Amino acid sequence: MMLTTNKVGITGMGIVSSIGDDVSAFCNSLRNGESGIKQMASIKEPKLSVDIAAEIQNFSFLEFLNRFQNIPAEKLNNARRLGQRAPFAIQTSIISAIEAWHNARLFGLKLSSERMGLIVAGQNGTQNYQYDLIPKFRENPEYLSPRYALEFLETNQVGILSELFDIMGEGFVVGGASATGNVGIIKGYQSVLCGLVDVCLVVGIVADLSPMDIQGFINIGAMGGKKYANQPDKACRPFDTQHEGFIYGQACACVILESESSASKRGISFQAEIKGGSLNLDGNSSANPNVHGEEKAMISALKKTGLSASDVDYINTHGSSSPLGDKTEAEAIYNVFGNHTSNVWLNATKGLTGHCLYSAGMVEIIATVTQMREGFIHPNKNLEEAIHKDLKFCGAEAINHRIDVAMSNSFGFGGINTSVVLKRASD
Amino acid sequence: MVKEHVYEVVKNVIMEVLPDTKPELISIEKNLKELGANSIDRMEVVTMSMEELGMKIPLMSFAQVSNIEGLVDVLTENYVEIGNV
Repeated sequence: MMLTTNKVGITGMGIVSSIGDDVSAFCNSLRNGESGIKQMASIKEPKLSVDIAAEIQNFSFLEFLNRFQNIPAEKLNNARRLGQRAPFAIQTSIISAIEAWHNARLFGLKLSSERMGLIVAGQNGTQNYQYDLIPKFRENPEYLSPRYALEFLETNQVGILSELFDIMGEGFVVGGASATGNVGIIKGYQSVLCGLVDVCLVVGIVADLSPMDIQGFINIGAMGGKKYANQPDKACRPFDTQHEGFIYGQACACVILESESSASKRGISFQAEIKGGSLNLDGNSSANPNVHGEEKAMISALKKTGLSASDVDYINTHGSSSPLGDKTEAEAIYNVFGNHTSNVWLNATKGLTGHCLYSAGMVEIIATVTQMREGFIHPNKNLEEAIHKDLKFCGAEAINHRIDVAMSNSFGFGGINTSVVLKRASD
Repeated sequence: MVKEHVYEVVKNVIMEVLPDTKPELISIEKNLKELGANSIDRMEVVTMSMEELGMKIPLMSFAQVSNIEGLVDVLTENYVEIGNV
């Protein structure tokens, strides 16, 4: 394996989320501080004590597919064939991947398939799909679709997306609980940096939770939504003294990572450069965060990029609205950034999108890049009284601000700590 | 009569499994492969047809089937046998 001096950047992005069906709508919602958190669209059996979430509502695969323009007809036909009867988690991946691929101007190009890679950042992608099939299965197991044997494997995403985009380099699935998206970005970055591929599609899949999964999060004490059950858009309050746990969100987010030499060969510029990232474990099987593990992720990410804490001017926090999680991250940031803390703008995208679990890190990378490109910091809508007085949180309105170096944090159950550092693409 | 009914059911299932196939291209002497069905599509046509007809027969019964008519015949035989007429 060869480590190149090549830079790695983002050349395309795509998203389907509760606050935007594409990157530009998502960006507008961020700026306006629009929350996707509402009453859930459909209530299943059994009824649960939390019924608010930031869901992708009114999703229609064929309608979304038909909105795309200037995509080769053959590709759209293949997408329709592969997605029309597929589970929700596949359909949303296809839609956001097409947006990213188009955005990176990869359609119609004759790049070598072997030099393209695919990373699916996601785990347990068919939980709700399976939950819905179980009653029928218990009655008539014989009628289970033979396709199920493909569908319940996470690698179904790998198969479908590689067929659609003709990707024949490395392709696999990564998981890291709530840090899954960042794990995908870090592994994609490494694949391109090491010269294994020139282009890598990273897909953060939607978390399609079943009622049983949601109840699990309620019972473990991680989920909020009780105090503000009747005001859903106020329920997610990262770093506010009234925070009480995360609110479930849905989004599928994709980015195209590419080497500088490949991008410049085809005359496309980076939307942002990935400077590097760090992934380290606490050696902890439980759900609790660890301040030292989080500090280590941030310090080590900076060290790998050759940047120092004082270069960072913005952090997209993990900020999930979990009382212990927020407190731990606030402390870790303060400890890492020291005197520079008061210069670093902070916000928490989960306050608007809910916690998108596997795709959260990817959603937040896209949020970071759009804020960098557009020169703003999105609001922390529900942050009324901050739990930490020395940190510089954006308030209830967006502010205009130029970001040169950004950090994006994601921490997951099982002591999984990640931090990614991005740099503004040269003007 | 029964065979016609079974064929109608199978035809609808084929159109659902292969939405890109034009209905006028489906005819009983063709095989599913010609219509663009891969092996999983073909298995799905069998399980969905059985479900539509409310019958359960071992998948091995279809081992010798070479075209749509063969599939319809096996389904018809068993449909009659289990007394759904």
